[in-house]
Amino acid sequence: MKINGVAIEDTFAEAFTMRVARIVITGRSLKWAREAALKLTGFATSVIGCKCEAGIERTMGPAETPDGRPGLSVLFLTMDKESLPQQLIVRLGQTVLTCPTTACFDGLPDVPDRLTVGKALRVFGDGFQASKVIGGKRYWRIPVMEGEFLIEETFGMQKGVGGGNFLILAEDADHALEAAEAAVDAMADQPGVILPFPGGVVRSGSKVGSKRYKSMIATTNDAFAPTLKAVTQSQLPEVVNSVLEIVLDGTDGPSIEAAMRVGIRAACRPGVRAISAGNYGGKLGPHHFYLRKILA
Amino acid sequence: MLSLTQALDHPLVADCIVPDRFAALTTKEIATLRVTHGGRTARLGDFFKVSGERSASVRLEGNLEKVEGIGAGMAGGDLVIEGSAGRDLGLAMAGGRIDVRGGAGENAGGARPGAAKGMTGGEIMVRGTVGDDAGARMRRGLLVVMGDAGRGTGRAMIAGTVVLFGKTGPGAGRFLKRGSIVALGTIERPATFRYACTYRPPHINLLLRYLRTRAGVPVSDGQVGGRYERYSGDFAELGKGEILQWAGE
Repeated sequence: MKINGVAIEDTFAEAFTMRVARIVITGRSLKWAREAALKLTGFATSVIGCKCEAGIERTMGPAETPDGRPGLSVLFLTMDKESLPQQLIVRLGQTVLTCPTTACFDGLPDVPDRLTVGKALRVFGDGFQASKVIGGKRYWRIPVMEGEFLIEETFGMQKGVGGGNFLILAEDADHALEAAEAAVDAMADQPGVILPFPGGVVRSGSKVGSKRYKSMIATTNDAFAPTLKAVTQSQLPEVVNSVLEIVLDGTDGPSIEAAMRVGIRAACRPGVRAISAGNYGGKLGPHHFYLRKILA
Repeated sequence: MLSLTQALDHPLVADCIVPDRFAALTTKEIATLRVTHGGRTARLGDFFKVSGERSASVRLEGNLEKVEGIGAGMAGGDLVIEGSAGRDLGLAMAGGRIDVRGGAGENAGGARPGAAKGMTGGEIMVRGTVGDDAGARMRRGLLVVMGDAGRGTGRAMIAGTVVLFGKTGPGAGRFLKRGSIVALGTIERPATFRYACTYRPPHINLLLRYLRTRAGVPVSDGQVGGRYERYSGDFAELGKGEILQWAGE
């Protein structure tokens, strides 16, 4: 299978079931909502080292947000149920609560599994906090030096998917980066999906474990590292000299598939030789995204 | 639907008009519920034409200014009153919604005599004026008054929210422990409230937007995102409550 002359390898991306919450952050301007969202999603690229994965899903206009101000929705994922509220409480408390003008709302209101994140953060108010029930939802008003910080009492948690991916195999680093940027731009408006790595792109894809260091749970993906072609069992063709990976997390499998379809098509451009995907033989993750099936 | 069939010359205590109670009753059973008219026991059907059954959505028609206790203790459902209601509307209610297209008498959303708590949940919307002691001893819930309010509005509130669009009489919020009185019109504050600051409360934005979309309340953008003076009080009590008075855009 080829798209614009780029070979689509007969392989699949292997992804995992995670727990996901959607956080809506609003601010007096989009600038301040974004400042909070960027801090909240900072150092949240991979559960391997960050214990959570997060990213900005999309911007929201005033007509879409609960308080009629500009905002952003953020997806936040962890591997298990217990760590999601822990991460949210720590991170929202240190990033959104501290950021001028922002307020924080649940983006999964219909989900029955509720995390009492706002309820936990209320104690920052040191007894001066107050709650209000509006339209059946409880909100906490936490007095701060600026005025008041408003946060919804509970946030929904549901099963999500983490680790969807595809690899861009290019003739050189410049073409790989151009293709990756085109893919990220194309996926920017895809609902239910985030790209948790810097700029949406990963240059250091990993394999499970280590050939040399027992303590390492992930090390460089030597099979796709061009400088190691001569010294390892490489999976790269002779003409490929740079590989970049796009990692996708989302609320569900179909959202990931839809985003991969758009992203891969955008990445198929001159200088790119093939599109591949990372997997572990299908034994670790229950979600398998077959490239050719997605693009058919 | 309940339609009043005769003009009332005495107060009619009809605290049986409770939507969540009606949800389990037939038309005949609703008509046989007991009321008190001028101190004498009677049946609801003696004064109202009842149509429909087993529904928690109830509509009332007629001049109900002498009908007392409508929605008392209701815990759910919707009650729409096409006109004005008498005193004790939504007395000690715990849930559901009451929408009065006209005004309401004294003690709307208030407490039963001698009881510590008034309404403990739900929403009351009064499009006209209310009498004295609206929202008195409220523990939780929302009371919205589009017109003027009488004396002692929100008196001894424990928590909850009262939103007042018109002019409010003296003694509003006296002995209030917690809870919020949001005054978009003029209000006479007790001297035991203390000015805190002028700011834009984020929850008022949310609350007024909710009223605009849920109940079609004509709230201006200047009120939604406006500045409010915060007065803490009542310092004759806990002092953890507030009067938020609109101060313009």
